[in-house]
Amino acid sequence: MNLNFQVNLQGIIDLLSNHLYSDPGVFVRELLQNGVDAVTARKRLGHQTEGKVSVELFPSSHTISFMDNGIGLTQTEIEQFLARIGSTTKQADQDSADDFIGQFGVGLLSCFVMSDEIVLITRSALEGDSLEWRGKPDGTYVINKLQRTVPIGTTVFLKMKPEYEEYAEWYKMYELLERYGKYLETPIVLTEDKDSRLINDSTPPWRMDKPEAIAYIEDSEYDKPMDIIPLKSLIGEVEGIAYILPYAVSLQEEKRHKVYLKRVLLSDKMTNILPSWAFFVNGIINTNSLRPTASRESFQENDLFYLVRDELGACIKQYLMDLASANPDLFHRMVIIHYASLKTMAAEDEELYELFIRHLSFETSYGDMKMGDILREHKTIMVTSTFDEFRQVARVAKAQGMMVINGGYVHDLDLVRKLPTVDENVQVSVLDILSFSSRFESLKQSERDEVQPFLMLSDQLLANYQCQTLIKWFEPADIPVLFNINQEVNFFKMMEESEKEANPLFAEVVHVIKDELYEKPYARLCFNYNNPIVRKAIASGDAKLQRTCIELLYTQALLMGNHPLSGHELRLMNDSLLEFMNMGLDRNAEASR
Amino acid sequence: MNTRFQELRRSTWSMPDGKQKLAVLEEMIRVADRYMTEEEAYQARMDYSNAAPECGCPERMLVSFSWCLKKFEDNPGNYSNFYIMWHYKWVLGYVWRLPELSLEQIERVFEDFKEKCHTYGYSLRVYYQKRLNFMLWQGKMAEAAECYKSWRAAKRDSLSDCSACEQNMFGSYHFAIGHHKKGLQSLRPILEGKMSCRSVPQNTYSEMMLPLLKLGEYDRATETAKKAYRFIKGPSYLEEYGTFLQFFTVTDMPKAVKLYEQTVGLGLGSKLGWDRLQYFVSVRIFLKEWSRTRRRKKLAESELVTLGWLDQEISRLVQAFNRRNGNSFVEEWIREKEKVAARLQSAYGTA
Repeated sequence: MNLNFQVNLQGIIDLLSNHLYSDPGVFVRELLQNGVDAVTARKRLGHQTEGKVSVELFPSSHTISFMDNGIGLTQTEIEQFLARIGSTTKQADQDSADDFIGQFGVGLLSCFVMSDEIVLITRSALEGDSLEWRGKPDGTYVINKLQRTVPIGTTVFLKMKPEYEEYAEWYKMYELLERYGKYLETPIVLTEDKDSRLINDSTPPWRMDKPEAIAYIEDSEYDKPMDIIPLKSLIGEVEGIAYILPYAVSLQEEKRHKVYLKRVLLSDKMTNILPSWAFFVNGIINTNSLRPTASRESFQENDLFYLVRDELGACIKQYLMDLASANPDLFHRMVIIHYASLKTMAAEDEELYELFIRHLSFETSYGDMKMGDILREHKTIMVTSTFDEFRQVARVAKAQGMMVINGGYVHDLDLVRKLPTVDENVQVSVLDILSFSSRFESLKQSERDEVQPFLMLSDQLLANYQCQTLIKWFEPADIPVLFNINQEVNFFKMMEESEKEANPLFAEVVHVIKDELYEKPYARLCFNYNNPIVRKAIASGDAKLQRTCIELLYTQALLMGNHPLSGHELRLMNDSLLEFMNMGLDRNAEASR
Repeated sequence: MNTRFQELRRSTWSMPDGKQKLAVLEEMIRVADRYMTEEEAYQARMDYSNAAPECGCPERMLVSFSWCLKKFEDNPGNYSNFYIMWHYKWVLGYVWRLPELSLEQIERVFEDFKEKCHTYGYSLRVYYQKRLNFMLWQGKMAEAAECYKSWRAAKRDSLSDCSACEQNMFGSYHFAIGHHKKGLQSLRPILEGKMSCRSVPQNTYSEMMLPLLKLGEYDRATETAKKAYRFIKGPSYLEEYGTFLQFFTVTDMPKAVKLYEQTVGLGLGSKLGWDRLQYFVSVRIFLKEWSRTRRRKKLAESELVTLGWLDQEISRLVQAFNRRNGNSFVEEWIREKEKVAARLQSAYGTA
C-alpha cells in the first residue's frame, strides 16, 4: 500500500513567507509583479484594455487592496496556484509570462507575513464567473462564486496584523510602491479616500540621455558622477547605465548595483552583476531575461548570468577605450581618482592592461614616472621584485644610467613584466640583486693586482656573515660600498634556526629542505674604486687598519640598508668603532707630544 | 622594534598571496626572534605556517612548523595543542610529496603524529586519511584500501577535516583507483549543493573534469570546467592548474595557452617534487600538442621550458620518486596519464 507523507502545510507556508524574504516590505513587490504579469498576460490574449494597477488604503480598518485589470484567474487556476509552488522551480522556462500562475502563488505567500488572511476577488478573461478566495496561513481556503459580476482582473485584500499596521498608511505604502514600482510601464495609482496619485511617471535612468542621467544620479546619490556608461546585453535583454564614481573606492568594499527585473526593483545592493574589475562604477540595470532566485532578491548564477556579466563588462571596456581618445582629460582624471584599483585590474585583464598601462605611474631610479614616458625614453628596463631591493640599488642605478623600476608595490612587478606585450621593442628583466654590482665597470689588470690582497682580506673577514666581496668602479663616487642581499637570506636564517631548535626527527626534515631544495644565498659587498676612502684604505697597506675599515663599511652598510644586525655584527661594529676612536685619540696624543 | 613588527604585520593584510608576502612574514620572524618574546615568535611562525601553503611554498611551512613543534613539546602548557596538531595534519599531506625525504623518515613522522594523537586525545581519523594518500601514491593499493576503511570507521572529531572536504576526498580516492562512476556517486551531495565549505565545491569541480571526459560525458565535463575555472585563483593550486591545462589542451587551446602563461612561473618556482611533477607532466602534454602546428606566437618562458627540458626535468623527478619508493609506480602512473591524454586528444581534440 502506498502512503503519502503528511506535510505540515502551515509550517511550509511559515517557512516560505517568513524566512525566504529579507524584508517584510517585499509583499508590495510581489503584488506589483503579480498585477503587472496579469496585465501582460491579458494583452497577449489580444485585449485592447489599458492596463492599470490600483492600490487603495483603508487606514481605519488597517486594510489595503491591490487591484489590477489583468487576465484574472479561473477556478482551476486558483486551485493550482498553491499546488504548483514547488513545481515551478523545476521548469525550464519558469519566467516566461505564460507561467505566471506558479509565480503568482509564491508571490501571494509573502502576504502572510503581513496578514492572517488573504482575500482575493477575481474574474478571468477566459471564463465568466466572479470568484472570491479566502486563504489562511494554515493552508486552508474557501472559494465562493459571487452573485454580482466584478470587472475582469484580480483584487487582493489584506488586513494588516497589528505589528504591521503602518503598512496601510500612505507614507509607508507610497515609499514602497515607489521603491519597487517607479519604473513599471503599467500605471500604478495609490488612492486613499479622495486622494489619488500616480506613482510611476518617471523615465527610468537607462532610458535617459547623458545629462539627464548625470542629474538623476547627482540628485539621488548626492554625488555628481564623472560620466555615464550605457550598458546593453542582447542575450540578457539588459539595458542599463554604469556611472563612474567621483571618489576612490576600496576593492574590498561590497558593490551595490541597483538591479531591476522587468522593471521591478529586485535589489539595490547586488554585488556581482558587473565584473569585479569594474569597481569604479555603480550600475543601474534592468533585465528581462535573467532568472531570479526563489526569494527574488538576486539572480541564479547560471551560464546566462555569466554571459550577461561578460557582455556588460565588454560595454564598459569599449567605452573606456573610446574615452581615452575622445576625451583624454576626463580619462586622465578618472585614472588619477581610481589609481590603486586600476592597477589591480590592469594586472588581471589584458585589454585593460593595454588601455591603461601607459597612464600608470611607477617609482623608478629616475623618480616617479608615467609608463608612457618611461617607454619613450628607455628600451631596457629592469624591475626589482621587492621594495627592499629597489632601495638597495636606486641611487647607484640612476648614477649608472640604468632604468630600474620598483616592483615592490603590489602588482607593479607583474605590470612591468608584461610590458613586451604592448611594446615589442622594450626589454624587461627582473633584476637579480646579487649580480647587480657585477654589471659595473671592471678594474684594469694593474688595479686588480693592487686590490687583490684587500679583497682576500675582506672575503676572509666576512665569510662568517655569508657575504662575498668584490670591487668595481661606479658612480656616484661618494658611496664607498654597495651592499646587496636578497630576501632568501632571511629564510635561510630561519631554516638554520629551525634546524638547530627542532627535535631530531624534524631537524632531519629541515636539513633536507635546506640542503636539497634551496641554495645557500650570499650577500654581496661591492667596494667602489671610485671612492676616495676606499682608495686610501687599499693604499694604506696596513692590514689592521684595513680590517677595521672593512668591518665598519660592512656594518654601516647593514645599518644604512635597514637590515637587522645580529649580535655578532653589532659587536663587530662596536669593536671597530672603538678601535677607530682609539686610533684617533692616540694620534692626537702623539701630535701633542 | 615592536612598532616595526606591527607595521610589517599590517602590510601583510593587504598583500596578495605570493613570495613577497612570505618575505615580509620572514622579516617579522627575524624581528620577533631577536627582540620579542618566545610566544610572539611562536605566533609569528604559526601565521607563517598558515600563509606559506597559500603562497605556493608549502615546504617553507615545514620549516616554521618544526620550530613550533619543538617549543610546544618543551612547554605543552604554553601553546594550544589543537593548532599545532592542525598544522601537523597539513605536514602529513606534504612530507610524502618531497622525494628528497626517505620512506623511513616519512614513516617516523606519521608514527610521531599518531603518538601525539593518543597523547592529546584525538581520533586517528586524520591519521588514516593522510596515510591513505601516502600509500596510494607509492602504489601500495592494498594498504591504501585498508587506510580508507580505517579512515571511514574512525570517529570524527575536531581535528577532522570538515564533512564537505572529506566527502570530496572520498571521491578523489575512487577516481585515483580508477572507479570513476563510484567517485562521481560519492560527489553527488556536493554537486547537489548539500555540502560545501571554503574549498568545496571548487576543488570538486576540477577533480571531476578528467574523469567525466574519460566516461565520455564531454558536455558535462566542459560545463564543470567552466564553473571550476572561475573559482581557482592564487598560487596554491599548482596541481589543479596542471589538470586544467591538460583539460583545456583537449577542449580549448587558446584558453590552455593563457592558463599556461599565467602559471608557468609558479610551476618553475615550486619546490615540492610531487606538485612540480604533476604540473610539468601536464605542461608536456600541452606543449606537445601546441608544437604540432607551426606557431608565430612565442610562449612565455619559451627559452627555458622546451620539450627537451621538460623530458629532463620530468625524468629527474620520476627517478627521484622511483628511488625513494623503491618501485616504478610513479613512472608507470605518469605513462598511463599520458596515454589517457593521448586517447582523449584523439577522441575530442579540436586541433
